[in-house]
Amino acid sequence: MTTDQPRKTATDIPVVVMEHLTKQYGSFTALNDLTLTLNAGQILGLIGPNGAGKTTAIKILVGLIRPTSGTAKIDGVDCVSDSGRIKRLVGYMPDTFGSYDNMRVREYLDFFGAAFGIAPRIRAKRIGEVMETTGTEYMKDRFVESLSHGMQQRVGLARTLLHDPKVLILDEPVNGLDPQARIEMRDLLIQLAKRGKTLLVTSHILPELTRICDRVAIMTHGKLRAFGTVDEIGRQVSQQRTIESHLVSADQVSTAANIIRQAIEPGADVVEAPAEAIVRFRTARPESELGEVLARLIQGGIRVTQFREVQTDLEEAFMSFARPQQAIVSTPVSAGGPIHA
Amino acid sequence: MLKALVMRELTTLMRRRRIMALQCGLVALFAILVAIRWPTDSRMALTGSRSQQVFQLFGYGLLATLLLILPVFPATSIVREKKQGTLALLLNTPLGPWRIFLGKLTAVLALSGIILVMSLPAASACYAMGGLSLYGDLWKVYQLLMLAALQYAVLGLLVSTYSNSIDSAVRLAYGLVLGLSVMTLGPHYFFQGTKGYLADIGELLYGITPLGAMMSLTGAGDVGSKGLITKTEVLGRFTVTSLIVSVIASACSISRLNHTIFDQARPQGAISDDQTQSVRFFRRLFFLVDPQRRSSNISSLVNPIMVKEFRCRRFGRLHWLLRLVAVCAVLSLGLTYATTAGTFDWGVETIGGIMVVMQVALLALITPSLSAGLLSSERESRGWQLLQTTPMSIARIVWGKLLSVILPLMLILCATLPGYLVMVYIEPGMELQVKRVVICLAAMAVFAMLLSAAVGSLFKRTAAATAAAYGVLLSICALPLLIWLGRDAPFGHKTVEAALSVNPIAAALSVIRMPGFQDYSLIPANWWFLGIGSIISLLVLLTQTYRISRPQ
Repeated sequence: MTTDQPRKTATDIPVVVMEHLTKQYGSFTALNDLTLTLNAGQILGLIGPNGAGKTTAIKILVGLIRPTSGTAKIDGVDCVSDSGRIKRLVGYMPDTFGSYDNMRVREYLDFFGAAFGIAPRIRAKRIGEVMETTGTEYMKDRFVESLSHGMQQRVGLARTLLHDPKVLILDEPVNGLDPQARIEMRDLLIQLAKRGKTLLVTSHILPELTRICDRVAIMTHGKLRAFGTVDEIGRQVSQQRTIESHLVSADQVSTAANIIRQAIEPGADVVEAPAEAIVRFRTARPESELGEVLARLIQGGIRVTQFREVQTDLEEAFMSFARPQQAIVSTPVSAGGPIHA
Repeated sequence: MLKALVMRELTTLMRRRRIMALQCGLVALFAILVAIRWPTDSRMALTGSRSQQVFQLFGYGLLATLLLILPVFPATSIVREKKQGTLALLLNTPLGPWRIFLGKLTAVLALSGIILVMSLPAASACYAMGGLSLYGDLWKVYQLLMLAALQYAVLGLLVSTYSNSIDSAVRLAYGLVLGLSVMTLGPHYFFQGTKGYLADIGELLYGITPLGAMMSLTGAGDVGSKGLITKTEVLGRFTVTSLIVSVIASACSISRLNHTIFDQARPQGAISDDQTQSVRFFRRLFFLVDPQRRSSNISSLVNPIMVKEFRCRRFGRLHWLLRLVAVCAVLSLGLTYATTAGTFDWGVETIGGIMVVMQVALLALITPSLSAGLLSSERESRGWQLLQTTPMSIARIVWGKLLSVILPLMLILCATLPGYLVMVYIEPGMELQVKRVVICLAAMAVFAMLLSAAVGSLFKRTAAATAAAYGVLLSICALPLLIWLGRDAPFGHKTVEAALSVNPIAAALSVIRMPGFQDYSLIPANWWFLGIGSIISLLVLLTQTYRISRPQ
């Protein structure tokens, strides 16, 4: 799935709305004026280094933490004053499983179903459904503490789905999973979004988020640094764009590099890759001036097959915001997405 | 290599604030004890009765401290490393099993050594007061304490090698302490002076407990001797048995410290419903309530937390409870029948006393293990966070948890009711006494449950919660009995009565007119104490639950 194409089930109805959320512990600010909106059916990836304030924001949404100031609403229900209704609207999967000794998977789900007040007959049916969705049916008689981490994550997700919540808030759902389990979990999350669930996912595994998220929010030091699609964030991050020029012949690489060096700003980074017959360079020149560079190449007799911008990936964007000096000087970015900073 | 291991273990132990508090508390206690009895008169009794009275309490106090506090450290030592993954690292070094064992044992013995050394000033003061022999009294008491420390440290390590969780190790260790040091006194008390194999067994078991040897050393050997004079060298027998037990337990522990300790397959979750009909039939016959059957959905009428608690506890499963209740019922009826049939000339009071002691021991052993971890286990497993995201109220959660303790305790209490009924049938005049005893036991059950839950709620880890709950409950049950041992001297009747009035065991025994307790009037003072204590404990539990469940 690409982030450019919104999921068909995604709508423009805002479901999760956080406005000027701030949480302070004494003089330490864990969350600083966070404002963002998530629409129904969307998947939001919340990323940031340790201590960025992701879990604080999540815990405010599920009613486990009270904000110092600001408001958080899910489906119009206030997360602070009406936490009872929030519990039925949200399915929360923390970063730890929360297992119980000597309890089988089915008993575990049955217990949480009963805790949510689901009537026994409906509960039995519902447990069957969530087990089928999460692929946990075959482990129903296994003891939860004896399950592998990947299995526990699936059971955790099944538990989250039991009361059919509108919004799923998943803290590090792919953390510690092997590649296959990660792919399975990713597919599962996409499947849930297709069913109309709104998902808020935190993760350190950035490629996973790139593949599944409609929107990404980058946080550092309790502040929102960037918000939007992966492409939009890439553009925000980099004032300088990376351009690749693919040539027909590797012999022309050196000549092409010289022409480019003369055409763009002095001292700019130009990399020659003769093995691939590519010249890669970084420039802050606008689109119109880049056409000039291409024209000079052609005029210089360079046979060009491709001349394109390389997209900045999420990892690069994340690293750019995670750098300490960047974190201190940068200001909240609002581009593209429904952000009200 | 061994030195590094010992230093690491000892440093870890000594860094704990609780150990520091324990050391300071002990020194202060002994100093107060000596100061109370320090002669202020210009004349002195040559018999040294004052110093002997202090020394008696001093010996029991030190032994109780070692028995209550020491076993927790070795019992959690290996299983904790196993859980944290550092045991695998240790086994992967050239240290070898015996060095690992020796390192851990040395650290625990060093801790007990420090406790004993800290008691030396008080012991010297007792000696200075006169009337005590350096070898005959002081050295022998310290010899006994060192042997007891060795035996229980080794047993603790053995428990640790076989346990799969830290809190189960704590429970098992306290069960062993209670069984080996207190329960072993019972057969000797009842069968001494008789002939036959029961008397021999009683005598044999008496040699296992350090309490018997301490009673003999401090001149309290006549307590419970019913006027009989014993010529057995109790300390010698305890020395031999404790060394034998220590050697065997050490060998077993060392043999466990290898790859086999990790070599366990994950349970596959076998279910009886998938077995053949004959297997299902036999399992039902054997278990009555098959623990491996596929359980049905939790009914809307019951508290889901209660059901969850029962399902989570291995011992909470119904088939275990039914067995326990059956054993209690058979034992109580058997004892009553033995008296009726004239097999033993014990009298109804003594039979009642045995039943009370049996029930109290069960309550003291089971209650903290059931209720101390009600909150801490949730916090440790991170289940509390999940419970907070469900619509269940705090009151419902706490009530469900308490219900899961109340029901097993009620079963245990009810199990001995037939025995009491037979007793009333034999001696109709005892009806009021029996009623009062049952009230005492019920009050103790409620008090023990709420106290353990309240103490346990103050801790984040189940093992610490369980150990603290056992410590507090056993102190309330055991310390007043130490004062009772010093009745008439150094403590007067009123002091002993005041001390015993907080003790639910003593209250029940005084009601049933057990010899030794019949002179004390402990009701209703004890009921007041238990009632107020229960209310305070409940308030602490509720406050603590509210504190951890409100949004931060």
